[in-house]
Amino acid sequence: MESPELIPVEVAYALPEHQTIIGLNVPQGTTVREAVERSGILEQFPEIDPDKNKMGIFGKLAKADASLRAKDRVEIYRPLIADPKEVRKRRAAEGKKMKKGGGDEQAASASTQGAAET
Amino acid sequence: MLTAVLALAGLAIAFGLLLGFASVRFRVESDPVVDKVDAILPQTQCGQCGFAGCRPYAEAIAAGEADINRCPPGGETVIIALADLLGVDAKALDEEVGAEKPKMVAFVDEENCIGCTLCLQACPVDAILGAAKQMHTIIERECTGCELCIEPCPVDCIEMRELPQSPSTWKWPYPQIHTSDDAAKEGP
Repeated sequence: MESPELIPVEVAYALPEHQTIIGLNVPQGTTVREAVERSGILEQFPEIDPDKNKMGIFGKLAKADASLRAKDRVEIYRPLIADPKEVRKRRAAEGKKMKKGGGDEQAASASTQGAAET
Repeated sequence: MLTAVLALAGLAIAFGLLLGFASVRFRVESDPVVDKVDAILPQTQCGQCGFAGCRPYAEAIAAGEADINRCPPGGETVIIALADLLGVDAKALDEEVGAEKPKMVAFVDEENCIGCTLCLQACPVDAILGAAKQMHTIIERECTGCELCIEPCPVDCIEMRELPQSPSTWKWPYPQIHTSDDAAKEGP
């Protein structure tokens, strides 16, 4: 199963003003965690803790021991600042429309759009 | 008389075989015009032209179903390049599809992001880094400025920002071109 064949992957970490994507070749069967360690991104950003920061591949959370496929982009995420419940509550209090997950969002968005156009 | 007929028939057969062989031997897999048009388009995959992406628009242009002036991100540069390639006259950008804007990139307001992944799903070029209940961040270098992520955001936390000018992005300003439309508007 294990073959010495190398596959290209990327390791990415994003800050609001500066995003880093490191491309590297790893042997087949490399895990998410190994790729992150190999990429040297931990030395560049000491704030990353591979035990605490969640990691994933192309927008999907992945376990640290998941093995990579060619051209995967391993992503290191940062936690949210806001509490989603609080943000939604605040918006509801301000009377702003909610889209997905905001109850009768279709009717609300349709009426506001109509109002904006006229 | 007979020799002439035979000679012409022989030539016809010879050239027919040659053409038949050439069509098999030098077969082109996809329409080369589509590839050339696609190469000119800016690959923002924004859908402002009314097609699903740059490639479908290129196919429509090559098939003569769509006009060449429906790409706002490409603007005049793309229209002129397409006109040049296809041997047609360049024209002004179709007003129906919007106006030419400076290159912008999306930016997430981190105070409000709730990690819903709706913008990730809308992004046609995977330029957003994030996952469920994790901070979403735009990868500036990969963002094409298509604005498709703005509408799905339930908390309106994505805004478009103009790219700051740097030595690597600075360009000579384009010369002002006055078309006959402008002259008509300014005229008496």
